[in-house]
Amino acid sequence: MTAAIAMLAARSGRRVLAIALTDRLGLAAHLRAEPPEYEPARVRDGLYLSAVDRSRALDEYLKLQLRVPQAAPTKQLSRALNVLVDTAPGVREIVSIGKPIYEVWKDEWDLVVVDAPPTGQIASYLRAPETIRDLVPAGAVQSQAQKLTATLTSGDTGLVLVTTPGELPVLETLDTIRRLARSAAVPGPDVIVNRVIVPIDLDAATVDGLPPGPARDAAALHTQLVAGQREWTGTFPDAPHLPFLFGLITPGEVAARLSDLLEEVWS
Amino acid sequence: MIAPSIVVAGAGGVGKTTISAAVAAALARDGRKALVMTVDPALRLADALGVELTSDPEPVAGSPHLWAAMLDVTTSWEAIVHRYAAPDVADRLLVNPFFRAIADRFPAAQAYAGGEQMAEFIESGMWDVVVVDTPPAGGGIDFFLAPGQVRELIGGKLLMWLTGARLPGRRMLYRITARPMLKLADAVLGGPLLEDVAEFLLDLRTMHDGLSVRAQTIQRHLARADTLIVTTADPTPAQETARFFATLEEVDVRPKAVVFNRALPAEWAAAARRPVRGIDDAAVRGFVRENLKRWGAEARRQADAREELATRHDVPLATVPWMAEAPDTVAELVALFDAAHGLTEAVG
Repeated sequence: MTAAIAMLAARSGRRVLAIALTDRLGLAAHLRAEPPEYEPARVRDGLYLSAVDRSRALDEYLKLQLRVPQAAPTKQLSRALNVLVDTAPGVREIVSIGKPIYEVWKDEWDLVVVDAPPTGQIASYLRAPETIRDLVPAGAVQSQAQKLTATLTSGDTGLVLVTTPGELPVLETLDTIRRLARSAAVPGPDVIVNRVIVPIDLDAATVDGLPPGPARDAAALHTQLVAGQREWTGTFPDAPHLPFLFGLITPGEVAARLSDLLEEVWS
Repeated sequence: MIAPSIVVAGAGGVGKTTISAAVAAALARDGRKALVMTVDPALRLADALGVELTSDPEPVAGSPHLWAAMLDVTTSWEAIVHRYAAPDVADRLLVNPFFRAIADRFPAAQAYAGGEQMAEFIESGMWDVVVVDTPPAGGGIDFFLAPGQVRELIGGKLLMWLTGARLPGRRMLYRITARPMLKLADAVLGGPLLEDVAEFLLDLRTMHDGLSVRAQTIQRHLARADTLIVTTADPTPAQETARFFATLEEVDVRPKAVVFNRALPAEWAAAARRPVRGIDDAAVRGFVRENLKRWGAEARRQADAREELATRHDVPLATVPWMAEAPDTVAELVALFDAAHGLTEAVG
C-alpha cells in the first residue's frame, strides 16, 4: 500500500520519497526498484526510494541532531551504541522514525511516504518521542523529541492503517487505534480495508443447486468468504474497501493495480 | 527422554497458529500425546483449544491426548531471571526499567523465552511430541536467532568491554558510567537513564554462565526439531519464505517442508478454460463462469508460486486448502489436517 500511495502521488506530478522502515526488499519489489540504500535514490521521475539503516540513522542522529562531536565512532563503539539503541526504551524507535522526519524537514519533497512496521508495533514507534520525553527530563534528546512530536502532530502528517477483513487483523487494528488514542502526540489514523472479496450475484441456494465440480466449488468458496468477512468489513464502514486481486503475480503488478484503485477511491 | 518436536515458522498472518494446532490435534487423534505451544491465538482457535490458555500446559477438553499452552512473555522472563540470577540480583533486575522495557519489547526476548519454554516441555518427558507455534517477532525468524543473540548479548566481548574484564561489584557502577563509551551514550540517553543501563548490564553479567549454557541447549533442540515453514502464495509471504531459507541456513536448520496455506485446487486453473455445463439459466451461468475464471487465475498463480519455490529450494511441499471459516473445534482442526496434501509426510 505504501508503494501504491507513493506511485499515485508521483503520477500526479509530485516529488515523492518512499522510505522503508523495516522491510526494505518488500518495498523495493513493489516499486520495481533495486534494493534501496540509506540515501534516497531515484526510481523514476518524481519517485525516490530509501531505507532506514539503523546504524547510519544513529550516526546521523548523533551528528546532525544532537551535535555530538565524537560521532565518528570506532567499529566497536558503534556496535556498543547499537546494543544500547536496542535496549533503551524508545531509542531504537526514535532513531528509526527520526530519519523520515529529517527528510520532511529538508523541504525537498512534496510527500514522504513511510512503510512502517506491522500494525502491532506502530504505536511504540509513533509514541517513541513521548516515551523519550517522559524518561529524559532535559537536554538535547528532550528538545529533539519535542521537534519530532511537533512534526507528527502538525496536521501535515497522516497515518494510514491497512487491514484485511479477518478476525486477527481487524482486532489488532482496533487495538492499535485505541492505543494511539491515548496519546495526543500522534496523528489520528485513517483505515483502508484491503483484500476484500467482492460479492457476486449468486445466493447460497443457487450455489447449492449447481452441478458438482470446480465451478460450484469456486462459487461456494466465494460466497462463504463474502459471508465470513461481512462481520469484519462492517467494523470500518466508512473506510475505503479495496478488492482482493485475483491472479496477480508480482508485487509490482499488485502495487500498480492498487494505486489505480486508490485513485478511484480518493478522487 | 527427549520428545521429538515440530517447530512451525513463517511470516505473520499466514495461519501459522491454526496449522500448529491442526498438526497437534491430528497427532493426538492418532494416539500420540501431543502438546501445542501457541502464541496469541485468534479467539476462535483459543475457543477450540479451551479458553483458559496459560503458560502451564492444560489438557484440551474432549481430546484425550491433546494439551495446549500459551507463551506468556513476561512470566517467562521472570522465571528465567529467577532461575539464573542470585535472589538479590533477580529482585533488582525485575524492577529495573530497562529490564521491563526489554522483556516487553526486545524482539529476541520474546523469542528466547519461547525457546526456553519449548526446551522445558521437550525435556519434561510428559509428551510424545511438542508442536511449537513461533512468536511473530522479526517475521518469525527471531525464534531461531534469539538463543545466539542472547548468548552474544550477555556473554559477548561487548558486554565485557562495556563493564570491564572482571565481574565487577556494584560499587563499580559509577566508575563504569565514566567509561568513554557510556559517556557518549550519556549524550544520547541523558544521565539518570544511564545508571539504569549500567546497573542492568552489570546484573545481566552475573547471569552469564547459566544462561549461556541454556541458550546452547535451546540451539541444539532447534537444530533437531522438524521445522515447517508456513506461507501463502501471496507475493509478500512468498518473499519472506525465501529470506527464511537463507537465514535458517546460517543457524544450521534445514526446513523439512514448506506448507502452503489457503491453497486452491490446481485443477481449477484448467477447469476455468472449459465451458461451464449443466446450468440452464444463462445469467447464472454467466456469473458462475466469471467467478470460476477469477478463481482459476488465482489457482494458476498459486501453482506457479509453489513450483517456483520447490524448484529454487528443493524442498517438499504440503498444501492446506483455503477454508472460508477458521476451525473452531478440535474436530475441525483435525478435518483441516486431513484435507491437506503432504502434511502427514511432513510431520511423520
